[in-house]
Amino acid sequence: MSSAHRILLVDDNPADANLTCEVLATSERPAQVSTVPDGEQALQFLHRFGQFSEASRPDLVILDLNLPRKDGRAVLAEVKADPELNDLPVVIFTTSHAPRDIARCYELGANSYVSKPGNLGQFFSAVRSIENFWFGYASLPD
Amino acid sequence: MSMHGEVDILLVEDNPDDLELTLHALRREHLANNIFTVRDGEEAVEFLFCNGRFAGRSFDHPPRLVLLDLKLPKLTGLEVLKLIKNDPRTKAVPVVVLTASREERDLVASYNLGANSYIQKPVDFDQFREIVKSTGLYWIVINQHPLANPLSMAATPR
Amino acid sequence: MIDIPKNGSSQNRLRVLLIEDSTADAEIEIAELRRAGFDVAADVVDTREQARERLKKIPYDVILADYNLPNFRGMDALDILHENSLTIPLILVTGALNSETAVECVKQGAMDYVFKDHLARLPISVRRALEDVRLRHERARAQEQLANKVEELARSNCDLEQFAYVASHDLQEPLRMVAAYTQLLAERYQGKLDSAADRYISYAVEGATRMQALLEDLLAFSRVGRNGVTPAPTDVNSAIEEVLKNLGLALKQHGVTVTCNPLPTILADRFQVVQLFQNLIGNAIKFRAKRNPCVTISAEQKGREWLFSVFDNGIGIAEEHRDLVFKIFQRLHTRDEYGGNGVGLAICKKIVEHNGGRIWVESELGRGCNFRFTFPAAVADKADKTEDYELCTQNPISR
Repeated sequence: MSSAHRILLVDDNPADANLTCEVLATSERPAQVSTVPDGEQALQFLHRFGQFSEASRPDLVILDLNLPRKDGRAVLAEVKADPELNDLPVVIFTTSHAPRDIARCYELGANSYVSKPGNLGQFFSAVRSIENFWFGYASLPD
Repeated sequence: MSMHGEVDILLVEDNPDDLELTLHALRREHLANNIFTVRDGEEAVEFLFCNGRFAGRSFDHPPRLVLLDLKLPKLTGLEVLKLIKNDPRTKAVPVVVLTASREERDLVASYNLGANSYIQKPVDFDQFREIVKSTGLYWIVINQHPLANPLSMAATPR
Repeated sequence: MIDIPKNGSSQNRLRVLLIEDSTADAEIEIAELRRAGFDVAADVVDTREQARERLKKIPYDVILADYNLPNFRGMDALDILHENSLTIPLILVTGALNSETAVECVKQGAMDYVFKDHLARLPISVRRALEDVRLRHERARAQEQLANKVEELARSNCDLEQFAYVASHDLQEPLRMVAAYTQLLAERYQGKLDSAADRYISYAVEGATRMQALLEDLLAFSRVGRNGVTPAPTDVNSAIEEVLKNLGLALKQHGVTVTCNPLPTILADRFQVVQLFQNLIGNAIKFRAKRNPCVTISAEQKGREWLFSVFDNGIGIAEEHRDLVFKIFQRLHTRDEYGGNGVGLAICKKIVEHNGGRIWVESELGRGCNFRFTFPAAVADKADKTEDYELCTQNPISR
């Protein structure tokens, strides 16, 4: 793996995206975070279309569910159905803790599902845990 | 623990030393009350598909996490993974490959077959314990599993 | 068929069908009614066909029938009424009739009987019959109004519940932003602005986090009964096991002893049962006295219900507050004394009532609480459990 970990963060809420990026920036492992605000741009980024022709393939995708234009479930489904992209680890990071949503995401092939906590401290903790596990302990495809 | 009861973690491991280390690390963190161990790929498949020795189990109560070694007798880890992830009844169960293999192709194959994650077992004892602990913490505490029970998450008295 | 001339206004208008073959008798009966103040419009018939034909055309107020006509029994008019779904009162006006037959006629549907040699009773009987009809109509109308009101209330309730759910659910998002960023402000800028700013920020944070908790509680409250689960036989023992698992850490931390006497299987939504007991046991821990909390759970069968008791040795509740504690957001202590928003018991009450039961508390300050509530039994008095289950799954009670 190259020096900096590459993360694609898909979140339409700038406040949440900001928080997440702040936590990722404080990690002991340098990370390059690209943020896109909707599902369509997420797919364009992964396919390196249009404005994203120079984008590099991320090592991890952190994906919210309720997104404009194309929602997170659709993005997940497309990524996991694409032989070029299906080995990409996708962590769903969303406010929903509805069992229905959780089950659906796993059916679509999500690698992991983490609920965004309402409490600030727990939110930071959750993001740190995600970064810590996926880049500190797990082995990822190149 | 009953083979038909609720299982938090299904550990698929045939190496006795690794098995002991893993169990010890998990228990120390109080990560799971119910850990069930199977020693080969066939047993793992029977367990998850509720047949053979485990015909009394139900698809409605899968383990919350499967820790899967790749080098197994009878059926290999990759074969087990393929079976689990290709069947709608078992596809949603989180499976984390925990292997000594350093082969790139094992890693790629695992993710392609739908493994939720892939962990390489360190040679060092302490590092091994540490990685099992962190893996367990992430998958049992942080990660939401498919049959999450909202009441057990926030059991704070009102 | 004889037509008797009609007179008078429509105020006391009485439309009478006389089933009578004697013109004289008919005239006397009509005269008797007129003397009593009725404005009589009468038709007289003496055959079944005529009776049927008239009844089809005219909405009579009362039928006066002789018991024994040559080709038609007066009582047979009741059949014609029945055929045409009419509810006109029929009074037998007859010559000598033994009392058993008379009573039998009333049993079969005649409103009353009057003897022809006691016609003074006729107007009274007619008035009573009319009153009866009037009361019947009023009752029907009242029932219809009640049904409408109930439907309206149900709809209104449903709207309110939806509103509460949607409001609390959708409000959570922006509130999360406010809470998170005010907290960040507090952390990053504490001591860097003036002390007034510090104070303002801390009030904002407090307000935001309290509102988050309130919304979560309101959401939990409004969710009760909304998950559309059909009640099924639920083993309360196993539900309690789940509760003890959920509360595991707290139970160990405070050295709590939970004693369960054998508990029954009830007809309920299992998730709600777990919620109910979890709230009660959770409260027993929270409102503990200076001793290790002890909770005893038992149940006794009372007819088609089970009466549960959850008894704790906590701080207890004063008599005047015993009803108050079940109100939503009602608290008996300051936030410094005990946390929480006062929703736990309101949820318990909603769950119990949603399942057709009642809940109350017996308690004295300092002597712990005994929460008592009822649940319908899964099946009344059956010995075989598997049989119970099959019966229940065939006859689900949908709510």
